[in-house]
Amino acid sequence: MHIIEIIKVAFGSLRSNKLRSTLTIVGIIVGIFSIIAISTVIEMLQTTIEKGVSQLGQNTFQIQKWPAIQSGGPGEAAKFRNRPDIILEEFYLLKEKLVEAKSVGAEQWSFGRVIKAGNRETNPNVQVSGCTPDAFPNNKWTVEDGRAFNEKDIQSYSKVIILGPDVAKKLFPNYSALNQEVTVDGYKLRVIGILESQGDIFGQSQDNFALIPLTAFQSMYGKRSRSINITVMSHDKETYTELMQIAEGYFRTIRKLGPGEENNFDIFSNESILTRINDITSGVRIGSIVVAAIALLAAGVGIMNIMLVSVTERTREIGIRKAIGAKKVNVLVQFIVEAITLCLIGGIAGIFLGVLVGNLAGSFLNANAVIPIDWVLIGVFLCVLIGVTFGTYPAYKAANLDPIEALRYE
Amino acid sequence: MTNFLFELKEGLLISLRAIRANKVRAILTTLGIVIGITSVVLMSTAIKGIDNAFQTGVSSLGSDNLYIDKWEWFNNDIPFWELRNRKNLRLDDYEKYKELAKLPLAVAPTVWSNQTVKYKERNVESILIQGTNHEYINTTNLTFNEGRFFNELESNGGRQVCVLGFDVAKNLFPRGNALNQDVKIRGQKFKVIGVLSEQGSWVMGNFNPDKQIFMPITNIFKYFQSEFFRSVTINVKAKNSQMVEETKEEAIGIMRKIRGLKYNEANDFSINQQEGLLNTINSTVGVIQIAGLFITGLSLFVGAVGIMNIMFVSVKERTKEIGIRKAIGAKRRTILGQFLTESAIICLLGGLVGLLLAIILSMIVNQFLPTSVQAETVVLAILISLITGVISGFAPAYSAAKLDPVEALRYE
Repeated sequence: MHIIEIIKVAFGSLRSNKLRSTLTIVGIIVGIFSIIAISTVIEMLQTTIEKGVSQLGQNTFQIQKWPAIQSGGPGEAAKFRNRPDIILEEFYLLKEKLVEAKSVGAEQWSFGRVIKAGNRETNPNVQVSGCTPDAFPNNKWTVEDGRAFNEKDIQSYSKVIILGPDVAKKLFPNYSALNQEVTVDGYKLRVIGILESQGDIFGQSQDNFALIPLTAFQSMYGKRSRSINITVMSHDKETYTELMQIAEGYFRTIRKLGPGEENNFDIFSNESILTRINDITSGVRIGSIVVAAIALLAAGVGIMNIMLVSVTERTREIGIRKAIGAKKVNVLVQFIVEAITLCLIGGIAGIFLGVLVGNLAGSFLNANAVIPIDWVLIGVFLCVLIGVTFGTYPAYKAANLDPIEALRYE
Repeated sequence: MTNFLFELKEGLLISLRAIRANKVRAILTTLGIVIGITSVVLMSTAIKGIDNAFQTGVSSLGSDNLYIDKWEWFNNDIPFWELRNRKNLRLDDYEKYKELAKLPLAVAPTVWSNQTVKYKERNVESILIQGTNHEYINTTNLTFNEGRFFNELESNGGRQVCVLGFDVAKNLFPRGNALNQDVKIRGQKFKVIGVLSEQGSWVMGNFNPDKQIFMPITNIFKYFQSEFFRSVTINVKAKNSQMVEETKEEAIGIMRKIRGLKYNEANDFSINQQEGLLNTINSTVGVIQIAGLFITGLSLFVGAVGIMNIMFVSVKERTKEIGIRKAIGAKRRTILGQFLTESAIICLLGGLVGLLLAIILSMIVNQFLPTSVQAETVVLAILISLITGVISGFAPAYSAAKLDPVEALRYE
């Protein structure tokens, strides 16, 4: 039988029993809905976390004293604390050696600072960073207004500052911050640029920071008090992993580590952090999706039950089909297609509802809206799978009917 | 009345026969309910386990306790930089408070430090060491496996003695007999004079007393922390739970006086209560509960839809039978009752099997999370399955009851 004809027959028999078909479909809708809704919420949280974590630019990795994600409790912390700080000289050595890299930047952070301008001041929670020009592309910082740092600013210890949008808005609500003077910890600095907004994560703004040339920063806060983070960007994706290995080797040489000695610094990239986070969250993810899938199982049982009824009711029809030459395969395919059609109708409705409700629920958590394409596909696949799994037995039963007995059936 | 009972009995017999006549169908329908009930019961049991773990953890803090501290523990209304700029609480503040306060049952200062504790070749890393005085034991409900808490003499004299929490003792002295041994912390020897019995639960993390060590507060300031940089927490135990509010008011008044605050200045200290933690926990557990029960409830709903569907089929198949019954005098009520009984029985069977499965599975869950199926959960599950049966059976039964006997008899 032609496939289009099979589908037509399937639709016809579904339509002839509207109530029954609707109830069966409702089961599938609910089953698929729960899986899609859950995975949408999880996906939303995941992308929001990913966005928060992916602070580095493309093809960029970072060398720093502390690991990006600490695990193993506070006992491990002592081990990292005892590592030597990364100092400016080490950065220059690495930059000189690492000719293969596109850009090598350094940055240093100080947290909880106050920035003042005139009679206005920020809350004492602004992050101030001393950085080199290369740190801008490496951290995805783009200057919206004014200019970024150049080598001259670094060499001449320029007393200049670039403000994050939140800081600029807070200090200069009415006019542009450009070329105004601000005070940080008693030092007067001229604003030469304002950064583009980086958006927010879980309702938390990411723009509450300011940048100072690294040398000026060190003359303000001291040379040896903080460890430097070094960011390295490769020219393209192909050389990225290789560059990471080269950089690791060079930095080991700079640190004078012998073979077999453990690194006393950490290298990480967006991807390595993401895999760590995925490791941590995968348990929750799998668990909740399995729980959600239970409803789908119940729906599958319902389908099987209704298909069995349907086979019994249509024994005569099957008998006639067989009598005029339908093969076992034809009958089998007919009933499986019917089951799949039921599942797909319910599945598509369930996917729609799930994405909708999932996004609604996720928006309460201030997560960014998302359509989990992969889960939509998985949902469709699951529908077909459920249809085949639970439709096969009834279809098999129908296919194996003896035409003579079937025709005689009342 | 007898009439009703007779109908019920008759309905029961008919439905049992109908169920038996269609074994595969009945089993599959029941399976839907089994899946639903199992997942709901299992989920509620697991949630109860989580909740219990939190509650026992919290109660180890003691319900009548107040903690006067520089920091606000549970609520983030005040920005952290304002908290940071508060003056530290000093031991002097504690002495003055103790002198002035009339209401508390007991008052003790505490200060903590994270250290590695060693005994011979064994060591436990990053243990929370609580420095306090002899009064501390009166502000808590700690119980001892062996030994005792340090007394006034040891506390005031700053003797190098310590009391080990249950887990710490188990790790350092796997074979017991910790008493009177010397443990080493940062090169200093401390004699073990007591070991606590198991108190808290895992939810408390490092604040679980099982993972702590207690010693006279002067030792902390002498060896581990600077007295001038570390703020002291004052533990206050009220006489009873009715007195907590009064004790709190008194504490605010006294502390304001000690800190020399003017009438228009805000408090530069916080009074923390277990209640704050309870609120946080309850809202967390609440969210887990709603989400968990909703998701598992969906599978029960799917099961119910399945029953409804099959009951409709069953009504349709038995149209002729219904017609005959009506023709010889069956009332609407009788037909309605008959089909309702049928779906209720299917659900009840499913509920019982599901319950059994859930109890078996909860024994597995019990390995990770101490929990068990409660009697009330059992009753509730049976009730829910009955109600599910009646609700999902009602529409089909009603459609059967209102069939026109003439039409029904003619039905092929």
